[in-house]
Order: sequence, then structure tokens, then C-alpha cells
Amino acid sequence: MKRIIFDLLKYNNEFRIGVFLILIVMTMAGLSFFSPYPPNDVFVVPPDAPPSADYWLGTTSRGQDVFWQLSIAIRNTLAFGLLVALLSRVISIVVGLSSGYLGGWVDRVLMAINDTFIVIPLFPILILFYFVLRDSMSTILLALIMSSLGWAYDSRLIRSVAMSLKTREFTGTSVFSGMTIFEILRREHLPYVLPIIFSTTLNNMNWSIGLEVTLAVLGFMDINTPTIGGMIYWANQHTAIVAGIWWWVTFPVLTVVATFVGLYLIAVSINEYIDPRSRLSRMGGGQS
Amino acid sequence: MTTQPILRVDHLKAHFRSSYFGVYREVPAVDDISFDVAPNEIFGLAGESSSGKTTLMKTIAGLITPPLELIGGKAQFSFMPPETNLYGADPAQLARIRWSKLSYIMQGSMNVLNPLRQIRSIFRDFAAVHIGGSNSDFETKTVNHLSRLRLDPSVLDAYPHELSGGMRQRVTIALATICRPDFIIADEPTTALDVIVQKEVLGMIRSIQREMGSSVLFVTHDMGVHAALTDKLGIMYAGCLVEAGRTADIFNAPQHPYTRHLIHSLPRIGDTVQRTGLTGTPPNLANPPSGCRFHPRCPLASDICRTERPMMRQIATEHRVACHAVAGDDA
Amino acid sequence: MPAYFNFAIKRLWQFVLVVFIGINIAYVITHVTPIDPVEQSISAVTSFGNTSPEAIADMRRSLQELYGLKGDWIEQYISFWRRILQADFGPSLSAFPAPVTSLIARALPWTFGLLAFTTLVSWSVGNLLGALAGYYRNNRSLKFFGVLAMALHPVPYYIVALSLMIVFGFIWPVLPITGGSAMDVQQGWNWQFVASVFHHSVLPALSLIMIGIGSWFLGMRSLVSNIITEDYVVYAEIGGVAQSRMMGSYIIRNALAPQVTGLAMSLGGIFNGAVITEKIFGYPGLGTLLVDGVYAGDYGLVLGVTSIAIIGVSLSVLVIDLIYPLIDPRVQVAS
Ligand SMILES: Nc1ncnc2c1ncn2[C@@H]1O[C@H](COP(=O)(O)OP(=O)(O)OP(=O)(O)O)[C@@H](O)[C@H]1O
Ligand code: SF4
Ligand SMILES: [Mg+2]
Repeated sequence: MKRIIFDLLKYNNEFRIGVFLILIVMTMAGLSFFSPYPPNDVFVVPPDAPPSADYWLGTTSRGQDVFWQLSIAIRNTLAFGLLVALLSRVISIVVGLSSGYLGGWVDRVLMAINDTFIVIPLFPILILFYFVLRDSMSTILLALIMSSLGWAYDSRLIRSVAMSLKTREFTGTSVFSGMTIFEILRREHLPYVLPIIFSTTLNNMNWSIGLEVTLAVLGFMDINTPTIGGMIYWANQHTAIVAGIWWWVTFPVLTVVATFVGLYLIAVSINEYIDPRSRLSRMGGGQS
Repeated sequence: MTTQPILRVDHLKAHFRSSYFGVYREVPAVDDISFDVAPNEIFGLAGESSSGKTTLMKTIAGLITPPLELIGGKAQFSFMPPETNLYGADPAQLARIRWSKLSYIMQGSMNVLNPLRQIRSIFRDFAAVHIGGSNSDFETKTVNHLSRLRLDPSVLDAYPHELSGGMRQRVTIALATICRPDFIIADEPTTALDVIVQKEVLGMIRSIQREMGSSVLFVTHDMGVHAALTDKLGIMYAGCLVEAGRTADIFNAPQHPYTRHLIHSLPRIGDTVQRTGLTGTPPNLANPPSGCRFHPRCPLASDICRTERPMMRQIATEHRVACHAVAGDDA
Repeated sequence: MPAYFNFAIKRLWQFVLVVFIGINIAYVITHVTPIDPVEQSISAVTSFGNTSPEAIADMRRSLQELYGLKGDWIEQYISFWRRILQADFGPSLSAFPAPVTSLIARALPWTFGLLAFTTLVSWSVGNLLGALAGYYRNNRSLKFFGVLAMALHPVPYYIVALSLMIVFGFIWPVLPITGGSAMDVQQGWNWQFVASVFHHSVLPALSLIMIGIGSWFLGMRSLVSNIITEDYVVYAEIGGVAQSRMMGSYIIRNALAPQVTGLAMSLGGIFNGAVITEKIFGYPGLGTLLVDGVYAGDYGLVLGVTSIAIIGVSLSVLVIDLIYPLIDPRVQVAS
């Protein structure tokens, strides 16, 4: 894994841009620990001030400093995405690996359920959740719900990797050499599966953050935890765009777009590194 | 020989060059190879796996895409204007000769047929331009030709996945011969077939070739097939041609130590002595041995073999060998 | 044909399963959660103003009936399914006494039209450009499009829609940013109305297409750059197969199969995007209906739209699944 990151940093432009964007975003999130204002306090600074030397990214109509508000918001948003991604990984890995390795009827049953979760439109379901839960809906609860809904796409991917690994020759030889199943999985298969799991983690973060922003913007979330979506929600509530308080919307949007593009580029470049076929294109193969 | 060769391969060199995340690799898979193929002749090419046979075929056919690169030399067909390789030739020119003059049977013909296209359409895509005539004429011709390879006309309606491996291989052979090309490159065309079908198909290739008067460049690692089918034979080892001549001569009096090993390891009736195998492993082409590439495994190796690469030399009429231990004239 | 029949039965099963699981999730959410949905709805409705106690009691009674909260859970479960299968979601609370079904019926064509059009456009244009980009790797403008797609593709619908709204609503106000048609135009099959519908759908359609096209483009580009190294393409090249044939029947044809599967798999996500896009542009479709239903605490409406969404999306997936063997004859054998 260390090797992969090193190689990618050295030779892959997309990866470098991605890492650069994510580093900026993470620095921003890290700064939240040094914020001079408690995140939920309002009217701590003069409202509606445009970006200036005092307030780098301006202030909101609620009297919050956009810069510091943004730093805590992106921190919460990232943490949310990470939580959903990690939790849903557990399901995708278990489903994907058992489906791929065990095959047979286990595979058929699991994939039927899996495809169901791929097909079902999740957004109305999430909205239904909010409709029932209302004020009891917390960020953690939403993360739990989303991770139990958003695993299916990746478990299909992990399954296909497991299936291709299963038929590789080395599994045959290590079975003969008396390794236990667990050892085979850990020593021979994990190194192949790990980078893929990592890239699905990033993609899943993008998915969950996107939904979180959307839900929050509509107000279908715990709007008192500052998140990127929450910030845009409050800006909309104060009709910031019409009122010309553009900085209240622009900076959160830019930050979250940087997050999306960064995570995506990293995931894409890792996929490319893993796929031996794309090596050809790296060398300018194919038609010109 | 006074007839013009239909193919003259002249000091041909093609290497795989790749650089992937900082790892540079150069594989000299075709290294300074020369030979001629005469009209109406089957030229066989033998050599163990990964000795560069397929790469040589692709280079000759002008199929040079990265990471493969043409380093030097020529592969000149008589039906092309003088001094032109197929590689880099004018596309209009290529379109004219492809399939009508030169056809190719690819190794592992499992995947050479478009999986989403019926055999009939595939035949049309490849051959209709060259054969011309009405649709029903073309259909009749195709059906007749297929029957020569013992294929039922119903295969035309099938998709490739509906045919057995052997049928697919025969379809590929039919596809490569239907336009009666002057030159056919056949890369392991019968490897996927069982022995009986293989024999039958080889016989058919032979009779089609005789009838059309075309030349065939026939690759297989099976020396038995070479003995039965080919007129001339070239032996490849680690990207180099080490011996070439009339098949009969090579089988009767093999000169190169590697050729001798290949021929002597053929099982014969009445064998009593255990044949000694070759020691050592095939060379890693990414880092080939110095001098003669065979020296780590050669029973005759001397000091010069480790440092100096042996050149191809004429040792008899139409018989050339590249070995320091074999005396001969420079070719 | 028996092969196709078996295949169709299998896909039909999957469709039934999706609907079954989807509707059950909806049941669990609304019935098994510890929160009382009736009280939730009442507090949502009453928080907007003064409602008399009698009206509240009235509402509580009708809500309980609506939610199917009478009887034990088996009865509740059966009556829940019965309502879904009969498409009877009761009267809408927010548009009382109009039945939910008629609200949905009015919104459905808007959403269907918008989604069918944008999905078709982004899928076909994205795939076509992607195929060209995979084949002509060094073309400048296709490369540029690739970079654009990479940057745009991961951005969620909401952000794109919002940006379009800012650009065309405030910075350069040339397009209508809200509604499905102009207020002063009579709805019906007259030229003015149709033109107005098109005019109003430009921005919602554009934002859906902008997001959608990138992922098809990128997917197709990488598929094609792999397919051109496949034996059958290389072989067709040696065989001198004509360029146009090669592009159409050898390259695109083979890349199409996974892209059609991809389309089926992403319909759910596309619908999610439509919900938010509709809401932003005030487009009178299911998405707006759903979101407004939540704001108004209209249980029947929210459940109705959710169920219709689940059934509609799985039905579209079923249709794609059933025509798939036309695109790839191998599946009937494989399955
Ligand atoms: N695409 C490629 N990239 C890098 N190296 C390659 C590539 N294709 C082949 N090689 C290398 O070139 C050498 C010759 O391969 P080639 O396919 O020509 O062998 P061959 O004689 O046809 O073997 P076989 O009998 O197994 O078909 C091998 O060492 C192989 O590793
Ligand atoms: S040149 Fe030397 S090493 Fe090579 S085959 Fe001849 S004797 Fe053996
Ligand atoms: Mg080969």
C-alpha cells in the first residue's frame, strides 16, 4: 500500500491533484480545532460583511465567520462521509467476499438482495426516514441508515475481484501447501482486495457526502450540526444569493466540490494503478 | 533458387519497451532475424513458448502497437511496392492487400471472432469487399468453402459462443483462406484441436495451400507437425533465429545444439534409451544472457559463446545455423 | 425461445423481489420505528398555525386509519400492502380533499418526460463521445472534454443545479428558473404551452444532463480503450474491416452491453438526482411533490410517491433487462 501511494505520487498527475485538493480540505478541517468561536453560536461577528482582512471569507447573516464556520462544517461533513464509508464497507466486504468465494446458492441469494439495493431509489427512502423521525434524526443515525443502504454497488465489485482471485493459480498451490483458508485470504488475497476496498471507500464517501449535502439543503437533517449542507441550508433560509451575500454560498460549494473532485481523482488513479490493462494506455497504446 | 521470394525478412528487430510507474523493461523478442519464404511453400517456425514466435509474426504483419516497437530491419512482401514494410504503409494500400493477398490466423482463436456478431456477418466484414458479386453469390461461395473444412452451413447463423472450440478454430481457418490469399500467416492454428481433428485440419490446410499456390508461414512448437507439414523450417530461441533450412535437412542433420535437442527429444518407435532433457530454464528475455543466448544451457558452450553472439552462417545449400561450434561460411 | 422465457422469468423474479423488499423497507420505516408517525404528522401540521383541538382529534383519527394502525401487526401489514397494490394512499393532507393518487398522476408525466429525455440524451451523447475519445486518444477537444467530465462527474446534482440557477437566474437572467411552464399559459396541447414547457425545462434538463453525461463518457472511454486491445478488434484490423463497421459493430457494439447494464443499475441514482433538481427549479414533478409533502407532513403523499418511485424505477430496470438479450445474446446461455 505504501509502495502504491509512493508510485502514484511520483508518476500520476490525477493522483497528485487529488491529494493536493484533499490536503487543502483536510487542513481546513483541522483548523476547526483552533476556531475562536463555538460552532453553534450566532451573532459573534458583524453580520453580512464581505470577505476582508478581518474576515477572510466574509460573515453570514447570522453573524458567523464563514471561514471558521466552514472549517467545522467540512470537518463534520468529512467525518460523516468517513463513518458511512467505514460502516458500509463492513457489509460490502462480508457480502462481496462470501458471494465471490462461496459461490453457489449463497452467491445467488446474496446477489439478488444486492441487486435490489442497487436498484431501489434510496433518496425517497431516506426522506421517508426523515419524515418519520423528524427531530430525532441525528447525524449519527443518518450515517447508520445510509451505511445500511449504500453498500450494494461496492459489494458487487468486491465479489467480482474475489471471483477472479479464486480462479487464480496461486490459490491452487497454497491449498496444496496446507495453508488454512484464513491464511490464504490474508496473505494472498488481501493485498489485491485492499486497494480496491480503499478506492470504493473514497467513492462511497463521495456518495454519502453528496446525499448528506442534498438532504441538509432541503432541511431534512439535523440542521444544528454544522455541515456543508447545513451551511447552504441556512444561506438559503436567509436568501443569501438574492441578498448578494454570495460568499456565504460560494465558499462552502467550492470546498465541497474540491472534496468531491479530490476523492474521485484519488479513487480513479488507484483503480488505474490496479488494472493491468490500463497500463497499456499509460504508454500511449491503442489508436492515435 | 532463382524464384523471387514472396517474403523477405531482413535483419528484423522489434522490442517490447515499457515504462510503468518507473519500472523500465525492454524485451528483445525479435532480435535480428532474417529468412526468405518462397512462393508455394510452407515455412515452419518452431521454438519453445515465449521465444518470440508470435511477436515475429505480428511484426511481419505490421501489427506493431505499443509496447511493441520496430527497432530496425525489414519484412518485405513481393506484392508490396519495393522497400516498404507493412508497418506504416499507406492505409489505402493496406486495405487492398489485407485478406486478398495476406491473411492471418491468430494464436488462441477463441477470442478472435467478435462475440456479438454472427459468423455470416463476420465473413461479410472480412471478405465481401475482396470477393465481390451479389449477396447470394457470396453466400454460396462461403457455404462451399466452409464445407471444405467440414463445417455445416448452419454455422453462419451462429454466434461464436454457440460453436465449440474446434469449430471456432476451423471457422477462423476458413475465414483466413476464403479470399485465396497469396500469403497466410498461421500462428498455432491447430493447437486447440484434438489429435484427430488436428490431423484432418492440417491435411486441409495443406490441400488448400497446394490448390491455391499460396505460401504459409506456419508457427507451432510441435515438431511432429513440422515434420509432417512444412517445406522449410526455422528454429527460434530467445528472440533469435538459430537455425533455418529445408525441413528434411534439419530433421536429418540438425546442427544447432538447441535444434538437436528438439529433434532428439521427439519420441520414436523402438526407443530404449532415456533421452536427456535440457538443463536450466528458458532465459528471461527481459534480461537475456550475453553472447549466445543459449550458452547457459548448451553442452558445447565455450568461452567465446559467453561474449560473442554467433552470426547466421550458411553451412549447406539453404541451410543456415548460428553457432560458434558449427563451421560454415558467413551468410 | 425457451431460453429467453427462462431468462425473462428470472428477471421478473428480480423485479418482484425489488418491489417486495422496497415496500417492506417503507413498511418497517413507518411502522416499526419507535416514533409515532401520527403524532409526528400532527405536530408538523399544527406547527404552522392554530388548529382547533377538535380538528386535531379528527385528524388523529383519520391519520390512524390511514397509517393502518388498527389491529395487530399482521392486519396492519396486510392492509398496508392492500393499499399499495390498489394504489390507494387516501386523501392528501396538504391538498385536501384531493386523493394522493390524483396528485401523483398529475406529477408523473412531468418527471417521466424530464427523466426519459435527459437520460436518453446523456446516455447516448456521453457514450458516443466516450467511444470516440477511447478510439481517438490524441484528439485535443475530446481530451479536454475528458478533463471537464472528470471535474464535473463527481459533483452532486444539487450543486450543479444551484450553480446553473445562479448563473442563469441572477448573473445572466435569460432562462426561467422556476416552474414547469409559464403561469399565464393555458395548459393543453397548444403551441404556446408546449413551447413554454420546453423553455422551462431547459435548466432542469441541462443540470441532469451535465451530471449524467460525464459518467457515461468516462465509462465508455475506458471500456473502448480496453476493447481496442481485444483480439477480435486487432483481428478485424488485420482483416481490413472497414473503419465505420469496425467502430460500429466491433467496438461500440461490444462496449454497449456493459453500458446498458450500467444504465439499469443507475436508474435509482438518476431518480434521486431528479428529486432534488425538480425541487430547486420548482418543476411540478414527483420530486417537488415528495419534498413538499414532507414539509406539509402529508404522510399519504410521501408514502405514495416513495412507493411509486420504487415501483417505477424497478419497472424501468425490468424493461431494460428484458431487452438486454437483444444487445448481448450470450446472457441467455449464461443465466
Ligand atoms: N504485450 C507485451 N508486453 C511486454 N512483453 C511482451 C508482450 N507480449 C509478449 N511479450 C514478451 O515477448 C516475448 C515473446 O512472446 P511471444 O508471444 O512472441 O512468444 P511465443 O513464442 O509466441 O510463445 P508461445 O509459444 O507461448 O505463443 C515473451 O518473453 C513475452 O514475455
Ligand atoms: S554458440 Fe556456443 S553456446 Fe551457442 S549454441 Fe553454439 S556452442 Fe552453444
Ligand atoms: Mg505465440
